[in-house]
Amino acid sequence: MVTFSKVVKEFDGFKALNHLSFSIDEGGLYGLIGPNGAGKSTAIRIMTGLIKATEGSVDVLGYSPQDAEVRPLVGYMPQEMALYQDLTVRENLEFFGKLYSISKKDLKKRIADLLDFVELSKWDKTIIANLSGGMKHRTSLAVALLSKPRLLVLDEPTVGVDPELRASFWQRFQDMRDDGTTILLTTHYMDEARRCEKIGLINRGRLIAEGTPDGLLELTKTKNLEDAFLSLTRRKKEEK
Amino acid sequence: MKMSRILAVTKKQFLTIKHDKRTLVLMLLSPVMAMLIFGFAFGTSPKHLQVIIVNQDKGSLAGEYISKIDHEVLSISDSSDVFASKNKITSGDKIAAIIFPSTFSADASPSVAGYSTNKSPIIKPAKGTHIEVFLDTTNQQLSSVVSQAIGQAGQDFAKSKGVKTGISIDVSYAFEKTKDARYIDFFVPGIMAFAITLFTTILTLLAFVGERVTGTFDRLRVTPATEAEIVVGYEIAFGVIAAIQGALILTVALLVYNIMVVGSIALAMLFVILVAIDAQAIGILISSAAKRESQAVQFLPFIIFPIFLLSGIFVAVKSLPLWLQPFSNLLPPTWGIEALRDVMLRGWGLEHLWPHVLVLVGFAIFFTLLAIFSLKRSRNQ
Repeated sequence: MVTFSKVVKEFDGFKALNHLSFSIDEGGLYGLIGPNGAGKSTAIRIMTGLIKATEGSVDVLGYSPQDAEVRPLVGYMPQEMALYQDLTVRENLEFFGKLYSISKKDLKKRIADLLDFVELSKWDKTIIANLSGGMKHRTSLAVALLSKPRLLVLDEPTVGVDPELRASFWQRFQDMRDDGTTILLTTHYMDEARRCEKIGLINRGRLIAEGTPDGLLELTKTKNLEDAFLSLTRRKKEEK
Repeated sequence: MKMSRILAVTKKQFLTIKHDKRTLVLMLLSPVMAMLIFGFAFGTSPKHLQVIIVNQDKGSLAGEYISKIDHEVLSISDSSDVFASKNKITSGDKIAAIIFPSTFSADASPSVAGYSTNKSPIIKPAKGTHIEVFLDTTNQQLSSVVSQAIGQAGQDFAKSKGVKTGISIDVSYAFEKTKDARYIDFFVPGIMAFAITLFTTILTLLAFVGERVTGTFDRLRVTPATEAEIVVGYEIAFGVIAAIQGALILTVALLVYNIMVVGSIALAMLFVILVAIDAQAIGILISSAAKRESQAVQFLPFIIFPIFLLSGIFVAVKSLPLWLQPFSNLLPPTWGIEALRDVMLRGWGLEHLWPHVLVLVGFAIFFTLLAIFSLKRSRNQ
């Protein structure tokens, strides 16, 4: 469904991605995990067509990420809130819904369903700037889901989110996965990555390991993913 | 107050500037640019103003009068056709037509009326002559310079020839309704276009930089919306806002300052909207060079000073040094201001002003395409 093949991305001579390869199967919940600056957001920006790879090839749902045809099929929740602060929750949703050319009738129903899903029905007429951080995150997720995407790309969706809301987010991601949506998310919280079906551990723009959370723990003989990551990073250094 | 803490704040500010090279360059360039443009715009008096002379004089005195005209101030072309010359004034090609009648020399000189019985000539004193000046007064600044130049030449001529009788200058007006135009009537169309350009550029610039900073722009670009749709969507919004702002400026100008509007207010509004569309496309273009709102604001002097001083708001473009005038023509507000004055003071319609519409639309298309290109380019980075 998504394939990165030997992707290199250079910024002024610095390799943010260094021959990164991984693939995501349809209907999965894939976590691209790594520390800050590992290249996760760069990979997502390439995947969503916001920037181009310097080398290598990327396939998203059978298209190049820059193709116009792929855009209605991909939902994107950026790391920042990326909402219009002076519009209400509903106005934000209506605006983005219109960009996806959703009919007025369908959009009304979809917004009602999404507000219910993110538990913001009572706050739909509130200006974004007046919402709490958690509510803004939920609005941002609702915007990403407007087009009923086949692929949902979430860049650090739980950064700055309190534990209660984080748990609720993960429940939602799993519900969506169960409904057939393929999800790719990035996080640097190793503990919560255990909830993914498959994990790609990324460091310095390279994939250092890939597998199920249990598989990676077994491989590294560690008890948590943080230790697994450190162990794999050490191994890579020793191999060099 | 502790000096070390005060100096720490000062040092931090200098470090910020040191690390932000763009701010440093803009900070040093903008005052130099401002002073240069101010100097060129206000430091020179109008020169090479285009006038036509129709010399019908059967004698030689008109030629001598003409030689007294300061050719640095007035750029003279000759014609023998009064009607065609006046047409050039009413079409805005030239500022004035100066017509010397066929009796100019005869009327300026004493003549022999006959002979007395002792055969001595009877001298008829000069009855006094006149010239006709057909003047465009829609630009008060220029028309007064032309009038002064003609008057001064007349005085110099009279002095050199010892002509004691006055040379009267009969002035008629190319645009009768604006013969009493005040400076504010000339000034308001300029300030309208300037205000709209300034508001729209700032609004668009900050709106687009805001889109980038908050991440909404990335979110827009992963939707099926194309860069062209985003830019044109903004253009419509700012076109409407500009029309409202233009209407408000015009209303205040009419009610408070009682300014002259000879032509169609609707056409004036069309030009205001075209100026706004150009301004917002420029705003989007500049936004691509700014990473933060603070950087965006530093670009404003580079927009404000050239437009303020070179687009004809205070100083007519024709008064600027010749080498500077092409730069004025590269500024969309120059065309907007000229068109607004032509509508409001000359009462011209689209039959005269279609080239201005074309130029402003051309600018709008050019800047819009550049703005779209600059947005698309960021995808390829």
